[in-house]
Amino acid sequence: MSGATSRKITRDVVLGLYKNTGTARVDADVAASFKVGDSIRARNINPTGHTRLPRYIRGKQGQIATDHGVFQFADSLAHGGGKQPQHLYSVRFTAQELWGANAPAQDSLYIDLWDDYLEPV
Amino acid sequence: MTSDEEVALRVRALESLLLEKGLVESPAIDEIIDLFENRLGPQNGARVVARAWSDPAFKARLLANATDAIVELGYEAVQGEDMVVVENTHAVHNLVVCTLCSCFPWATMGLPPVWYKSAPYRSRAASDPRGVLVEFGTAIADEAEVRVWDSNAELRYMVLPERPAGTDGMGEDELMALVTRDSMIGVTKALEAPAS
Repeated sequence: MSGATSRKITRDVVLGLYKNTGTARVDADVAASFKVGDSIRARNINPTGHTRLPRYIRGKQGQIATDHGVFQFADSLAHGGGKQPQHLYSVRFTAQELWGANAPAQDSLYIDLWDDYLEPV
Repeated sequence: MTSDEEVALRVRALESLLLEKGLVESPAIDEIIDLFENRLGPQNGARVVARAWSDPAFKARLLANATDAIVELGYEAVQGEDMVVVENTHAVHNLVVCTLCSCFPWATMGLPPVWYKSAPYRSRAASDPRGVLVEFGTAIADEAEVRVWDSNAELRYMVLPERPAGTDGMGEDELMALVTRDSMIGVTKALEAPAS
């Protein structure tokens, strides 16, 4: 750093910040632990740091709806553990599984979950 | 409570300081304002929706691979790298939330509204979506399925609202005017066609 000028935010810096910065997909040949239609349970993990597995999902049973392919793992990236590429799935949970018998029987919630969050049922 | 005038004064003071100290050049500020006023925003998403309503082949591509279909229309920016579009019908109503923070598809919808980032919306959209929809004035049939999409990971979601009745003769630009930001989050439906 050689003074204020080298840190100056220019028009080009702004354009660089807002352009497509690249996908979180990883082009890696990683095996999927689950396939569409499989029943899974979200692990009951309670990490002290960053995770994208919300508490309301932990311990709940759902079904794999879509396999999005291989993505970098946000939890390990946040903790300096690298990308740990793995499959990311859209998982369907019924509203009754999440919120109890008073929830409408036909309603559901879809959430994107990485392989490491899931265990087979 | 801070008034709009006080906020404007504070922003002007900060802007002057940043410029005087040589930390920012004014074309950079103009660029940010132009980006969020004109280039990143729900007008882009509205174009995508209007095109999908008008062009069945585009709609099929959009639902199969939203990222590529949206780039076809030239909307490519940060927070739009991996997109999913879900379609509202009579039978299924989709609603998007980010329960962990405020993830939002900037390229097609701009920055999220304040309520979208609030704790009440983030918790209640997941646990009581029908209650939230009623508060937005959106009637959903009891027998329809409500699907909530929690965009907690790396994909960003946009709802393709149902095309309103009475819009058969409308062109893409007229249709765009019926597509609101809220209808692409799924808290409302698209606007009704103006009475002719």
